[in-house]
Parts: sequence; C-alpha cells; structure tokens
Amino acid sequence: MSSLTFSPRVPVIDANVCVGNHHTGPSPCQSPAHLLGEMDFHGVRRAVIYHAQGEQISPTDGNMHLEDWLDADERLIPQWSVAPVETSMRQIAELHRRGRVKSARLHDCQSAGLPFLPWGYDDLLSLLSSERIPLWIPLMDVEADHLVTTLKAYPDLCTVLIGAHYTHALVVRGLLEANSNTMLELSRYEPIGEVEALVDRFGADRFVYGSWYPRYAMGPILFYLHHTRISEDDLARICAGNVERLLGLTEGS
Amino acid sequence: MIDGTRVIDYHGHVGRWERYGMVDDPELILGAMDAVGIDIACLFHIFHPDGTTGNDLTAQFVARNPDRFVGFAYVSPTMPDRMVPELERAIDKLGFPAIKLYPPYTPWPFNEEPWHPIYEFAQDRGLAIIFHTDHFINSRPRYFEDLAPAYPRVNFVSAHCGNVPEARAEAIAAAQKFPNVYLETCSTYRTPGVIEELVEKGGADRVLYGSDMPLMDPRPQIGKIITARISNEAKRMALGENAARLLGI
Repeated sequence: MSSLTFSPRVPVIDANVCVGNHHTGPSPCQSPAHLLGEMDFHGVRRAVIYHAQGEQISPTDGNMHLEDWLDADERLIPQWSVAPVETSMRQIAELHRRGRVKSARLHDCQSAGLPFLPWGYDDLLSLLSSERIPLWIPLMDVEADHLVTTLKAYPDLCTVLIGAHYTHALVVRGLLEANSNTMLELSRYEPIGEVEALVDRFGADRFVYGSWYPRYAMGPILFYLHHTRISEDDLARICAGNVERLLGLTEGS
Repeated sequence: MIDGTRVIDYHGHVGRWERYGMVDDPELILGAMDAVGIDIACLFHIFHPDGTTGNDLTAQFVARNPDRFVGFAYVSPTMPDRMVPELERAIDKLGFPAIKLYPPYTPWPFNEEPWHPIYEFAQDRGLAIIFHTDHFINSRPRYFEDLAPAYPRVNFVSAHCGNVPEARAEAIAAAQKFPNVYLETCSTYRTPGVIEELVEKGGADRVLYGSDMPLMDPRPQIGKIITARISNEAKRMALGENAARLLGI
C-alpha cells in the first residue's frame, strides 16, 4: 500500500538519463553532483547517461562533453551516441577498442532525411551486432515499420526502445513481437495497466526502468513500478537486473 | 486512503479511445486505483458534442460503483441550444456536482461568448468547471483572468495546468490573482519540479491531483505528488482535501 513517502524496495539503475544542455536551452541539472543528488533522493544507485548534444546536433561532440560528467565512483555509466557517419563511427570504434563502450544510442538521422533502413545503417548495425553492443533507439526518431524491417536483418543486435508514449500504443506490442532481442524502456509508457499486461505477455526480461531525467521527473515511474502486481523478482529485473545483464555490469564496472 | 488521507482523482474519462490504449474497463481502473489507494475518481465523457450521450454513459458507469466514482457533466458550445438544458439535466437529474469543458473540440477560445451560458449556469449554482488547458489558442490558462472575476461563485480548474512552462505560468498567475482558480496536475509532461512549483507559487490549497485515466494509468501520475519535494501537509491537500472541499464531498 502507498504512503506519503516512497523509496524503492529493490536496487535501481536508471537506464535513461540525459546530461548537459540541449541547443534549445539550459537543463535544470547542471552538474554531476546535482544529478547524483537527485539519484540519492529517489533511491537510484546508478544511471546510464548520454549527452543532450548527441540527440540532434553532434554525436561526436556530445560524447566528448559526456566525459565531463563521469564520476570517480562510476555511478554514472556512459552511453555513447552514434550516427552512421564516418566521424561518429571512427569515434565509437576507438572507444570500443579501449573497452569503454557498453551501449550506444542512436542519433536522430531520420529528421535529417535518412530513414532507419539497412541501406543507410548497415556498417553501424553490423559493427554493433558483431561486437555485442546494445543500441538504445528513441522511438520518436524512427518509423515503426523501419524498426521492424531493419532489426529483422540484424537478429543478434540487442536494442532498447526509448520513450514509448500512449501515442505508440498501437505499435508497441508489434515491435516487441517482431524481434525477441528488443526491450522497452518505460519512462513515458502510461496506458492503464499496460506494464502488467506487457510483462504477462512478454516476460519481465523485456523491460527496463528509465526516467529520461531531466525531461521527466525521476520518481513517478519508479513509484508506479512498485505499485503493480508484478512479482518482486520481476520488479528487481526491470529496475536493475535487465540493464545490468545487457551492459555486462558488475559492481563498479 | 494514503496515510489516513482520502484520495480523490480529479481528472478521468469514460469512453474508449483504443488507438491510444484507452479502455474504460472498470476492473482495470479500480485495480489501478486500489493499487495506490485512490478512493474516488471524477469521470466525464467528452466524445459526444450533444453532451447527453456521453453524460448518460458516465452516469451508467458511475452507477455500477457509486462509492468510487463521481460523474461530471460535459457540454459543448458547438450545439448551443442543448448546453443549458443538458447541464440542468446532468446536474439535477443525474446528480453530477461539476462540469468538464474541452475547448480543443470547438472553434472558440474558452473566454469567448459561445461559452458564457455555461459560466452563467455554473455561477447560479456555484459549480466547479474543469477545463482542458494547454498552449494552443483555444485553451490558454490566461483566459481564467477574464472569467474568474466575472464569475466569482464558479471555481475554475486548469486541467494539466497548461502542460508546458509558458501555459503553466499563465495558470499559476491566474491562481495567484484569484481565489477561485485551481491547478490540476495530470500530464505526460512530467517535468521535474512542476509539483513543487505549483505548490510554492500557486499555493498548496489550489493543487488538485488528477491522472487522465484511463488514457493514462493513475499510478505514475500520483507518483508525481508522492515523490515531489513538498511537505506531507501539501501532499494531503493535493491528493484529496482540496478536491473534497471543491466538490462538497
């Protein structure tokens, strides 16, 4: 039952946190200390972070700025933005050579005219697939049909779909059905009862907690997940276990 | 109940909108409410401009669980001859205690003349009206600054509190100026600090928890209140005490 205060019952890794300023204005979170304070307030142990500049401006510059946010305690886990262009691919390959790439995040190329189809992404997706690097994909940046078509061509590639909203209600199940290596991040997915229904249908291993802080507050979805009828084991998987497995995380790694 | 506070969700719907996963299944709705301690949900049906069709569906829905749901009346100025008679029927015969209006489904900003017969009716009865508000021209919260002093017996509720910062600032400004303006919290824009801003600037006694269920699950929406950096006293007011006062329940 609820109370006026809340703290999570299971370890939590936030799988979707944005750091730094977008080109459109300042973030409400201006430092790693601020972010860590927010995580402490909501009981979040670690967070997967990417830089705002990597969304629509420059994945390579965003990744350089991301370095400034990494903390000595490694509570903040870097996620590197990537686009199918030479500068970005070279940067990712170098970071990977140094053992620093646990996951990548797709830069928005669709709004610049490149659809998410194999003819435009083969080099990138082949690299990520062969090197077992999971790819986070913002749903609003990619056509659902392209996702299904393209991911079928790379069956070993693990993907996490980000930012599903109720306006994606007609496509979410189909996307999860079409590719067994696709997971869903839950920061915006609020159709009534759908977390329970999706876990019943696909199993808890297909879902991860993310807040998309600071676009959204860190606490509400975490609170939601703790007030469903899913089991404690499934809750633990969604809140941390699945992303730990996907990123190969161990304590402090 | 949450820690002894009766919880009232001030924003919910009757009706189906399957393209967005919205299904008004009472079992689903009550299950989500019970999982977090929501005692009562206020519901309205906005998909029929005549008002009557939707209000009857709302009344039927409420009648199945009258201790858990409260129906609000819906009318539209696109059918002006029906507005006041339907309000009389919904309030007097169906027993609804408040009104819901949805400006995006009309050609008019909600401070314009076609809406005023509704406000005159509400003024006579001393009713609350909840408006969809956002940053588009028909639904700007700044219109409350025209309406609130003109209809002082009406309590004006800004649903979604405008959704985005510019419109939210208008809603807060109206609440600061007029005691009969309230701020309702549901939104998929779950920006950090919003609940804190509403409480700090608008006043804890003006904030109303709402969820937009079943379009959205009430649990993450109530999570916005519970996980906000506000006092427990402010949480109690937002979760139910303010709504109970407004509705007289």
